[in-house]
Amino acid sequence: MKALGRGSIASIVKVGLEVVWVVLWIAAAGLGVAAVVYAGVLAAIATGALPESILHIGEATTQIGPIRIVTDAGDRLVWPVVATGLLAGSVAVGGALAIVWRLRRMFASFASGEPFSAENAQHLRVIWMVMLAMEVSRYLIMGGVLLLVTLFGERHGVDLTVRAPVNLTTWGAILILIVLAEVFREGARLREEEKLTI
Amino acid sequence: MAIRVTLDRMLLERRMSLTELCDRVGITLANLSILKTGKAKAVRFSTLSALCRELNCQPGDLLLYEPSEDDALEEAAE
Repeated sequence: MKALGRGSIASIVKVGLEVVWVVLWIAAAGLGVAAVVYAGVLAAIATGALPESILHIGEATTQIGPIRIVTDAGDRLVWPVVATGLLAGSVAVGGALAIVWRLRRMFASFASGEPFSAENAQHLRVIWMVMLAMEVSRYLIMGGVLLLVTLFGERHGVDLTVRAPVNLTTWGAILILIVLAEVFREGARLREEEKLTI
Repeated sequence: MAIRVTLDRMLLERRMSLTELCDRVGITLANLSILKTGKAKAVRFSTLSALCRELNCQPGDLLLYEPSEDDALEEAAE
């Protein structure tokens, strides 16, 4: 089976990306609904319509990236934990949507048999920038979680365990994509020149 | 581009149309138009050979070198 053109591996991957695209939008909608519901619950607690004990689920462990939070006081759904979780989820889903959108456009051109275009070089450039932004956001969110735990942890009996946050696979992928973006830019330039060679 | 292709002059002298030339040479009309209008970046020797054969001329009859200040700057940048 050929890699490019109609009926190729690129066509199959293109279909897979369409499915991932739909799933990501469902996840994004779910996050939105969760945020609205939680905001509503907090508003109801503030007005006294709901008891505060609704947020107390019992002893639990929450994992946000490499940070594991053990709440032995039972306040699993307090706003610092939920807000951080929603923020981390939003960054992950938003970044994934941006990447998958670019990949869909790229694989559409691969399936049509024209891989080397200036647009594809631009897509790769945007993908590595989004991955970089997601990775930096992850560190910022972890810093925010540490700050919140420091401010609220003692009152709620929160214990904190942090593993090493540096993901070499992600950083390696970012470096590879930087190089690939330049390879595609050069390929697009050569293809353009070849089109104007009679 | 400092190199100009004088295809118009040769077609007039040989009383041949662009369509007839592209059929004889085996190049599409679109590509021959790119050559005629000076948008081409490069010409293959095989194409030049076919053009000279059908127009009964030398490569020098088809290609003219006319440098300008813009071309000199563009080539220096490359």
